[in-house]
Amino acid sequence: MILGLLLAMTAGALVSVQNIFNSKVNERTGSWATTTLVLGMGFLASLAFGVAFEGKAMFRLEGMQTWFYFSGIIGVGVVTCLVKGIRMLGPTYAIAIALTAQLLIALVWDSLGLFGVEQVPFTLKQLIGVLVIIGGVIVFKLGGAERSSTASSTISTTPHVDKS
Amino acid sequence: MGAIFAFLGGAFITLQGVANAQISQSIGTWQAAALTQFTGFVVALIVLLAMRDGKLGDYGRVKPGYLFGGAFAALIIFGNVKAIEEIGVTISSASLLIAQLGLTFAIDSNGWFGVAKQRMRWPHFAGIGMMIAGVVILSV
Repeated sequence: MILGLLLAMTAGALVSVQNIFNSKVNERTGSWATTTLVLGMGFLASLAFGVAFEGKAMFRLEGMQTWFYFSGIIGVGVVTCLVKGIRMLGPTYAIAIALTAQLLIALVWDSLGLFGVEQVPFTLKQLIGVLVIIGGVIVFKLGGAERSSTASSTISTTPHVDKS
Repeated sequence: MGAIFAFLGGAFITLQGVANAQISQSIGTWQAAALTQFTGFVVALIVLLAMRDGKLGDYGRVKPGYLFGGAFAALIIFGNVKAIEEIGVTISSASLLIAQLGLTFAIDSNGWFGVAKQRMRWPHFAGIGMMIAGVVILSV
């Protein structure tokens, strides 16, 4: 439990710093130039870590399935939707909505145990917990909004994630 | 309309984490991180070239250190995938967001990395407090 929390929080802290770096790139280039660079850098870093920790095994892709090749497109969907959403609503509301969606979809995913995720039964406790977190997001974003400019540094993606 | 895009953007972020976790189980976590970012890179590059959204020289106008921000994603994906395996999607996403918003808030209020300084106000503390309370509710 503690390990999982620490890993998630470390990832979150890195997302925060990454978003600031990315927004610095975005100020001087465009959103697609930024996305391309961010994903390219992420690829090179992942490749380097993989080779460092696993050596040749990094290139052994047994169990590969066709859809794996297309999952990267989700990241492009993230950027497209967030850029459009922010342009239409402004960063404060767009990001509050995006964070809410992130948590709601996570709850749905855990409850249904979709695609190999271990199912976490849906209970009233789960619903209340998620609603309290979403309430916190809304208070933070809408109550704390002073100037809209910095809200953009709070966007998260993959990587994913976390990028843009 | 904007709300739909924003909602989808958030939904895709979660979907991406789950897809990475699923792919990791088959081919390994670093492999999953490298593969998804490589295919995303290729698509983004095609869009970039098709839309003529700026030119390569633009990268030269950015302070060099900031160009490497994307590299953090390797560790972000690794941490997120392992966390989803350990504690599930909901608590992972929530804890990630708490750390993310908390640190962004600290950076904004101290003006680190040359960002415009912001004053801390009570809704920031109340909001983070509620988010932590929510994770505690989920965890007990």
